[in-house]
Amino acid sequence: MDAEVVKLMAAGLCMGLGAIGPGIGIGILGLGAMNALGRNPEARGPIMTNMILAIAFAEAIAIYALVVAVVLIFVA
Amino acid sequence: MPKRGCLGFSVPVVVGVLLVFLVLFLVSLISGALGNSLFGDLGLPSWLSVPQPALKLPAEVVFHLLGFPITNSIITAWLSIIVLVGICYAVTHRLKLIPTRLQSMLEAALGWLLNFCQEVAGEKNGRRFFPVVATIFLFVITNAWLSLLPGFGSIFVTNTEGEAVHLLKGANTDINLPLALALISFIFVEYWGIRSLGGLRYLRKFVNVSQFFRSVGQLFRGRLRAGISGLFMGIIDIFVGFLEALSELVRIISFTFRLFGNMTAGEMLLLLAIFLIPWVLALPFYGLELLVGLVQALIFGGLTLVFATIAASAHEAEAA
Repeated sequence: MDAEVVKLMAAGLCMGLGAIGPGIGIGILGLGAMNALGRNPEARGPIMTNMILAIAFAEAIAIYALVVAVVLIFVA
Repeated sequence: MPKRGCLGFSVPVVVGVLLVFLVLFLVSLISGALGNSLFGDLGLPSWLSVPQPALKLPAEVVFHLLGFPITNSIITAWLSIIVLVGICYAVTHRLKLIPTRLQSMLEAALGWLLNFCQEVAGEKNGRRFFPVVATIFLFVITNAWLSLLPGFGSIFVTNTEGEAVHLLKGANTDINLPLALALISFIFVEYWGIRSLGGLRYLRKFVNVSQFFRSVGQLFRGRLRAGISGLFMGIIDIFVGFLEALSELVRIISFTFRLFGNMTAGEMLLLLAIFLIPWVLALPFYGLELLVGLVQALIFGGLTLVFATIAASAHEAEAA
């Protein structure tokens, strides 16, 4: 197992595993937003704004994993 | 109402457009990398093939100015500045009461931004935070959308060392620009917090030793039980304050990597799509990139706003 192979495998694993958590998290956020929207369609503005904000927080974790994967392939 | 064919155009026009699209799709399928692996080398002219995408993570230096290396992302950032300042100057140097089209577009954008700031931060604070937040938003979105124009990643120049480098590269994909914006956002959030609450009261959020010393005083005065429990609460308070200070600093890193990661991932995705099926596959990804640019600008400005609102509001810990 030379270093090149391990680096590529590590990059793939990093991105793949790192996307599980944010994926589930964004799904849960969407569920909460849909529930809230169903109960109170008039509050669409604040609900959508806060949902987008929270999704960006969750997405940032996946982006960290992506950065590590990119660093593994191109820099390390 | 007379029938107008489909989608508002006459039927021959729609059929013609679909035919052109089909021809483009077939040509790019054969000449792109996907076709090369499916059909082998067919000996097509070289201008139909796309080179393999090579990602240069530290941006390449194009020339030196007064001793500073000027990279291609700095050139793009200057281009965004010129575009933004140019639009604003063209609108404001002759403001009319009945606005022209450009003036009403700019008024709509700035009005929406001011409304957004005031919704999140309240009337007075919204107006106070508006300049920095709106600048961050407009700069990020101009950088992101300009980098979708043709010319970014295809124009080559030879730099001072003689290598062929790209002339233009998306400014948000160089990690220095998100880092600079994150530092500015951090400095302004702390500044607004200190201005709103007074220096000592704001810093006391992070160095929260009041409960600790109060319980030491209780111990000395002989109230042992209240003293000991207060001591533990004081230690927890100090630890929580330290964690809050740490999270303020980690925000810089998280801002940087969120913007950098999204923009670089988008650029790589576009380069890969253009490499695989040249003319056609990139179309849905261009739409995605437009959306991602808008959302990331909104997130950067919006999070700065939210953190400033939290910092500037009176943050009393629960009474002991």
